[in-house]
Amino acid sequence: MWAFILRKLLYNIPVYLSIIFLMMLALRVQNPVYAYLGKNPDQQQYDELSRQMGLDDSFPVQYVKFVGKVVTGDFSENSWAQRGRSVKDILVKSIPPSLSVTVPTLFTSVVVSVAIALLSAYYRGRPVDQTLMVLAVLGMSISYLVYIIFGQFFFAGLPAAEGAWTPFAIQGYEPWMPIGPQAEQARLINWVTYCLLPVIIGVVVAMGYDTRFYRAVMVEESSRDYIVTAAAKGASKRKIIFVHMLKNAMIPVITRVMSSLPFLITGSILIEMYFGIPGMGFQLISAITAKDFPVIQSYVALFAAIFILSVILTDVLYALVDPRVRLS
Amino acid sequence: MIRRLLRSRGMVKFRRNRLALFASGVIGLYAAIFVAIIGMEIYDGIAQAVGGEAKFSLREGTRIRVLPRQTPGFLESQTPSERYNDIRWHHQRMERIFDRDLESMDDPWVQAFNELDLAERKLQRAELGEILARWEAFDETFLVLDDLYLRRDEALDLVGSIRDEIADLRGDLRGAEASEAEEIRGEIAALEEELAPEVEYLAEVEPEFFAQEEIARGALLELMPLPTGWEGVKYGFRTFLGSDVSGRSIACRAFYSIKVAFQIGFVVAGISVLIGTVLGAAGAFYAGWVDAIVMWLVTTLSSVPYLVLLVVLAYMFTGSTLFDNPREYPELQLVKLYTAMGLAFWIGTARVIRGEVMKIKELEYVQAATAIGFGRVYILLRHVVPNTAHIMFINFSLLFIGAIKSEVILSFLGLGVSGQPSWGTMISLAKDDLSNYFFWEIGSASFLLFVLVLAFNIVSDALQDAFDPRHVS
Repeated sequence: MWAFILRKLLYNIPVYLSIIFLMMLALRVQNPVYAYLGKNPDQQQYDELSRQMGLDDSFPVQYVKFVGKVVTGDFSENSWAQRGRSVKDILVKSIPPSLSVTVPTLFTSVVVSVAIALLSAYYRGRPVDQTLMVLAVLGMSISYLVYIIFGQFFFAGLPAAEGAWTPFAIQGYEPWMPIGPQAEQARLINWVTYCLLPVIIGVVVAMGYDTRFYRAVMVEESSRDYIVTAAAKGASKRKIIFVHMLKNAMIPVITRVMSSLPFLITGSILIEMYFGIPGMGFQLISAITAKDFPVIQSYVALFAAIFILSVILTDVLYALVDPRVRLS
Repeated sequence: MIRRLLRSRGMVKFRRNRLALFASGVIGLYAAIFVAIIGMEIYDGIAQAVGGEAKFSLREGTRIRVLPRQTPGFLESQTPSERYNDIRWHHQRMERIFDRDLESMDDPWVQAFNELDLAERKLQRAELGEILARWEAFDETFLVLDDLYLRRDEALDLVGSIRDEIADLRGDLRGAEASEAEEIRGEIAALEEELAPEVEYLAEVEPEFFAQEEIARGALLELMPLPTGWEGVKYGFRTFLGSDVSGRSIACRAFYSIKVAFQIGFVVAGISVLIGTVLGAAGAFYAGWVDAIVMWLVTTLSSVPYLVLLVVLAYMFTGSTLFDNPREYPELQLVKLYTAMGLAFWIGTARVIRGEVMKIKELEYVQAATAIGFGRVYILLRHVVPNTAHIMFINFSLLFIGAIKSEVILSFLGLGVSGQPSWGTMISLAKDDLSNYFFWEIGSASFLLFVLVLAFNIVSDALQDAFDPRHVS
């Protein structure tokens, strides 16, 4: 087991190094300082910024230095656009908002979609199944944007404009940090108000795809021999589906959930941008608009690392769940 | 290869699926619009290259003003005050022109009146004196209308506020004591007495206002008639979905976006399927170091999140005079989208094709071909790759729609298309109109997108069912 993980990690180190290399090259195609300061910058300011980021060194030196920083987790340089904040501060502070939207979304959407898929598979070919699948196809054909914009308008914007009560906040985010017993209460409720609508929209969007996938899994599973055996043995249909099938169908379900793990951290950029939640995606897009080179570079390195690590994690967990996958 | 694919058993099965055929028809319709737009643009390009004048200038058509801002489209009738605002808008525009000293100009209407034209709806050209007379008639009727509008508005306000007060008092009455109730009833009666003449006055002013509005509209039509014939058809098309926040035609923008979407879909899906097939098939067929390189590429590129790739490319191209200059080279501006999506999307195709080729290369007919003595390349191209055609086809349809959907989201975030309309930019502009209850722009853009995506979903489902029934989607 450990040998497997170690081998995976070792194999991915050159991959990661080459990704960093390519990304650093691509980010330096145009001079980052000019991109930030404009075509005719103040010489002193220019020197200061490029010295701060080490941009006056040769590329190999910059590469080695940056890899060293990534390895030691030392992102202490200051952001250009957000004065007085270090990159590390921005990075660390943007993780909790992303997680507070993505984790509930993932959890709810998996539970709901598996339930609907089971229902659909149970009534396979009957009107219930057909209606659900038509709804799923219709649902996944509607653009993500439409869900977000109309969802916010009808459930938060319109009630707020007309003075009606709504449990959802239009936009924004408040961290939940316990400071005193009463403050905690109030903050928790605020936090829920801000995150509820984004989570619901995320679940609705994910449901179209997930339901269809899980139903296909269930349908495929239901044609296996052990199901026929169970039926021949005289088990009831309900028992076959919930006891025999569900357990085996969990393998593809878990794989799919795990493949979406990296997006837990990177967050849903669209939702974060539209609802003004200062998560990872929001910070990345803001950095791009502001041409904030230190933040962009560190985010890219971090995203790639998270992505690779979660792919390795997926492989390992997959091997644990499914004994047929050999580790060698 | 394609002919063989069309005659295959899967295709026969696909053709039996009525819904999928209908969806293909819908896609065909979109494709026809795409081809027509591209054709007209190429025609214009050639005409301009040889020194002639552009005949269609479609992109220009998506930029010009055709109506007052946020005019609703068909089916939705305007409220009287919206109709009044329309007339006032025309009046203001004309006032600016007619206040100039037109008679001292050499050729008054060519210089000044061109500014008034709204696409096909042009100022009725005639002798200057006649135009001025028509303008004066319109101006006069408008002033009367303006006055009536103000009076009506005041009366409406007054009636509304009195009614509100009465309603408030009625509410008080319910919880009031008997002694207070008397008093409140008295107040209500007084207010109602006050209300009666106002309502009467409003009943007098309102029909007058409507009648005057008709007259003013007539005078405006004298000055700027609605186009007839072919021009009328074109104008009708331009206006049937209303106008956006800067008065541009929503219909033109929404339908022009089909071109942008299809262009991105074709290029991205084409590149990805091509690269994926070539690399995947070569890797599986030759094995050894070729396969090692392909697999290394696949793992490396799939370790970069697609969005990060796009962000890096967007950053790379910003400020470039060629690739980030939407005003002059809107087509080159799309290169970053093509590159990012192409780099990210070929991986899936390569994986599937690689698996399929590994299976195919062990089959008897490939062994037979080897035994006959055909070359490796010949076998790969003649016998192996054509048998993966259905996979390429399915992947193409999936990637096509995937690219269009990504384009919309990226344009919305400001990382995608700029310099020409696209559904993403339309939706992004229109989201601020929602607070005015104006749904036409976001509605038309997302409806066109929805129909296309739905049709593609149905078709790719049917394709998958027909060619690969065991596949778990």
